Amino acid sequence: MIRFEDRRLIGRVVATEAMPAGPHQFQFWTATDTTIGIGAIVRVDDERGRTVYAVVIDGKAYSDLATPLHDVVAAEGDPAGTAAPTRRTEVRLWTAAVLRQQPEEPVQPVSLAGVMLATREDVEIALRMDAYVRANRSSGLPIGLYTGGGMSAPVYLDSDFLLGPESAHLNISGVSGLATKTSAVEFFLTSIFQKFPAHKGTIAAVCVNVKGPDLCFLDQPGELTAADLEMYTQLEVEPRPFESVHYYAPFKADGVNLNTLRSHPDLIETVEPLVWGLREVLDYHEVLLSRDDIDAKSDAFIDFLADRVVEKEFSDEWGTTHRVRTFSDLERLFRSIFEGLEAQGRSDMWRTHHVATIRKVRNRLLNISTRCKGLVTDDGTVSDLPFGEFEDRAVYVLDVAGMDQLAQDLVFTRVVSQLREQLERRDLGVDHVVVFVDELNKYAPGDGPDTYVRKMLLDISERGRYLGLVLFGAQQFRSQVHRRVVGNAGTTIYGRMDLDELATPGYQVLSPATKIKLATLPKGELMVRHPHFTQPVFVAFPRPPVLAGPAGIQRFPPAKDVAFEEAVVAHLTALDGRIIPGKVKEIIVGHRSDDIRRALLATKRARPDDVVAFFRASLGSPVSRERVERASGSVAKLKSVEDPYAP
Amino acid sequence: MKLAHLADLHLGFRQYYRLTPNGVNQREADVAQAFGRAIDDLVQVEPDLILLAGDLFHSVRPTNAAILHAFNQLRRLRVELPGAEIIIVAGNHDTPRSVETGSILRLFEALGGIHVVATAITELVFDHLDLSVVCVPHAALMAGQSGISLPGLNRCKRILVTHGEIAGALSRESSNLEYGGALVEPGDLQVDSWDYVALGHYHVASKVATNAWYCGALEYVSTNPWGELLDEAREGRRGRKGWLLVQLEEELQVEFRPVPLARNLVDLEPIQGDGLGAADLDRVIAERVASVPDGIADNIVRQVVFDVPRPIARDMDQQQIREFKAKALHYNLDIRRPPTERTVGIGAPGRRQTLSELVSDYLSRRVLTAEVDRKELMSLAAEYMNEVEQDLLEE
Repeated sequence: MIRFEDRRLIGRVVATEAMPAGPHQFQFWTATDTTIGIGAIVRVDDERGRTVYAVVIDGKAYSDLATPLHDVVAAEGDPAGTAAPTRRTEVRLWTAAVLRQQPEEPVQPVSLAGVMLATREDVEIALRMDAYVRANRSSGLPIGLYTGGGMSAPVYLDSDFLLGPESAHLNISGVSGLATKTSAVEFFLTSIFQKFPAHKGTIAAVCVNVKGPDLCFLDQPGELTAADLEMYTQLEVEPRPFESVHYYAPFKADGVNLNTLRSHPDLIETVEPLVWGLREVLDYHEVLLSRDDIDAKSDAFIDFLADRVVEKEFSDEWGTTHRVRTFSDLERLFRSIFEGLEAQGRSDMWRTHHVATIRKVRNRLLNISTRCKGLVTDDGTVSDLPFGEFEDRAVYVLDVAGMDQLAQDLVFTRVVSQLREQLERRDLGVDHVVVFVDELNKYAPGDGPDTYVRKMLLDISERGRYLGLVLFGAQQFRSQVHRRVVGNAGTTIYGRMDLDELATPGYQVLSPATKIKLATLPKGELMVRHPHFTQPVFVAFPRPPVLAGPAGIQRFPPAKDVAFEEAVVAHLTALDGRIIPGKVKEIIVGHRSDDIRRALLATKRARPDDVVAFFRASLGSPVSRERVERASGSVAKLKSVEDPYAP
Repeated sequence: MKLAHLADLHLGFRQYYRLTPNGVNQREADVAQAFGRAIDDLVQVEPDLILLAGDLFHSVRPTNAAILHAFNQLRRLRVELPGAEIIIVAGNHDTPRSVETGSILRLFEALGGIHVVATAITELVFDHLDLSVVCVPHAALMAGQSGISLPGLNRCKRILVTHGEIAGALSRESSNLEYGGALVEPGDLQVDSWDYVALGHYHVASKVATNAWYCGALEYVSTNPWGELLDEAREGRRGRKGWLLVQLEEELQVEFRPVPLARNLVDLEPIQGDGLGAADLDRVIAERVASVPDGIADNIVRQVVFDVPRPIARDMDQQQIREFKAKALHYNLDIRRPPTERTVGIGAPGRRQTLSELVSDYLSRRVLTAEVDRKELMSLAAEYMNEVEQDLLEE
């Protein structure tokens, strides 16, 4: 790091008629052995007391050769031939974009003065961070280290502009496979959780793990190098994993093994099942049912079910009263309608709905519990996120990586909708929630059909900052995400980019040299755009303090799926290691698997002191089930009826 | 949906010695008649579901008459209400101690539409009613199967039927009265999880929770009907027996449907007998009997008289008492003795009393009939004792 007294001139501003220095951009030359490069921040002080801070966005080198032919002639046409008799004069000419001028007014062209490397304090001023970092109550959130000319300085984001209410949302782009996007978000969340000031309120994060084991080990410490630790020291962030992480994963189709890669016996106890019933699903049927398939008639019938039938007393025309709470109840209602219509035999209509529409809706709705098996249950048992009781600085990970795309959409939509509704009512438990979604181009694509998920994401992007609902979205190609979603992201991060992607219109504001740097950006470096920064800034960030997915899988290999009984034992022993497996097996003998699952869920939710006693009580006694047909009216006649008590 | 909740019919229950002209125990016939009247009412009301929450019969091996009567009445119900589902759950009185005895209740399944749950917890699922009924018979409760697993498939309506004593629901006296039942912790039933909990075992209709009721018996079939009267008074239904009509709508409605009783239970106002002679008591008792508006004929009557010493009781008008007993179906003159007063000597014994003094002391306390003058009696006794003492001295 350069101290102020070490500061020295590294170049001079030049301006010609063809290349004048403007108020927003200027050129300067340096010695050929300079340490600066694209992204370096420089400072220009003129004798009138004006200081200009700028970032290098392009660079050129040339000599006094009139044409390339002169050099060919001098070398006698042989590149390996005799060296030129004299060394040619060579110049390094840099283009810098102005970050800030002091005083701010009047805005004037940059003076022809000496150029110096920016110091740590200069970086703060240049990026206008002084307004929120040096304030009495700092609201700066360290995002990485700016490095230039052998000096490094922390770069802070303004929490008001990252988490609301001034602006909000963060979007991160980068080619896949470098683990940059996920690592960056993990580090940012660490930084936010440690540095988000208490006077700004409470905050939690909901991460949707859509692929692999990326977010499966946020509570486990990762391996950090000395360089990483040095960066943490400079950023004043403690390199420790998240203290409060809650994992949620649906069951697999067997209904008892959790569908997660975090299934190692040492970790499985911290994974809560995510199980929903009809009510939770029906409100979001638009997610699950294709708009091309569900026409207005079907839509009307589904609305009828949601408004008039589900969880209400509902009598059909044939004397049966229904209270539909589960998919099984719904199936019974449909059966009742079809049987009633069949017995009636004269109409294809039921309450203005055609029987074909009813059949179609029945098929689509009941298919949901099949397609989302493990997440959606037939019997109405629900295990959900603790809406209303969210904890401050806690991460809630929804591991839906192993699920069908449809189920992923459902989970994402419902959870985010619930967060939005509860934040609106201010009864979620925290004031701000960061929702991290990878593969944003899948959920909010720039083209394609207008899905419910996309509509919801657009709504969050535009209104979320008022609510405290902050979207951290990541995708490989920013150009493929809906413009209003990325456009509303106050902070944008770029990792290494694909050149084809950089050729798209969204990157026209970047200089060719910046694009090249982006295309070759090493792991651990990013380019940041933030409302306070007038130009993008390159920063380096340390590895996150948590175990990365692949390393986590090696350290905690996922457990193999086990048989039903064994899985039940495993779940319970995870809650209390003293439990004797044989005892659990003895308890569940003779019980239906549905009942066992329900008791298991209840026990996991309650986490009682006496696990076995609670599980046994929840399970109750075995209940044999008999399905009873409608009583028939035929009773055999008796020859005589004797009244033994006749007077 | 309308649900009829009955319990504790105790068919075959016998009490007292009065017989019908056909030689049947009168109370047994009364109990049978009450069941018949309840069936009449059920037919009028037309419930969708009829629950018999235990103790259909008074004993594991009921009399042939009781079996035949139950069969006839249930058959009538099936004929009159062919669409109604009938569920019979075994209570402590119709659960055999040993498995090989078997249950007579199974017999009624032959009528069709009658579902008997006698031993294990069973969930009966009625798709056409969108109803799930979990039946917990006495045997299951006694086997320690107290925790009830909620039905897996949630129906529109969920009903629990069981026969036992809910801990804390009955007063101590009532709990002693209904002996032999299984004690169930309220938490085990998860009362809030059900639309309605139909309970049997306690013979007085009473609410345990908003959605959990004992319907009571149709007749006085316990060993102490007078205690039932007291409990009924507390519930505001003194002298009324019946069944519950439950409307399982958005808001649960429970209606007590009384069944006319064959005879009244008359608990006459107790008499304080302290200081009264036999004649006085005879007179007061006669007044009490006369005060019954419709007389005591064919009723079950009790007269409690407190603090009546044995000699007084012995001298009472036994003829009058026999007449009352002949008139009523059962006349119970319950004479209670005065509490015994025991004296305990403390400290060193003083001078021993002479025989004359002992006799005098005894006569000063002895209970006497009204005609005898105590002073005269004591004076006469002292005179006799003096004569005896003189005779002894002269010898």
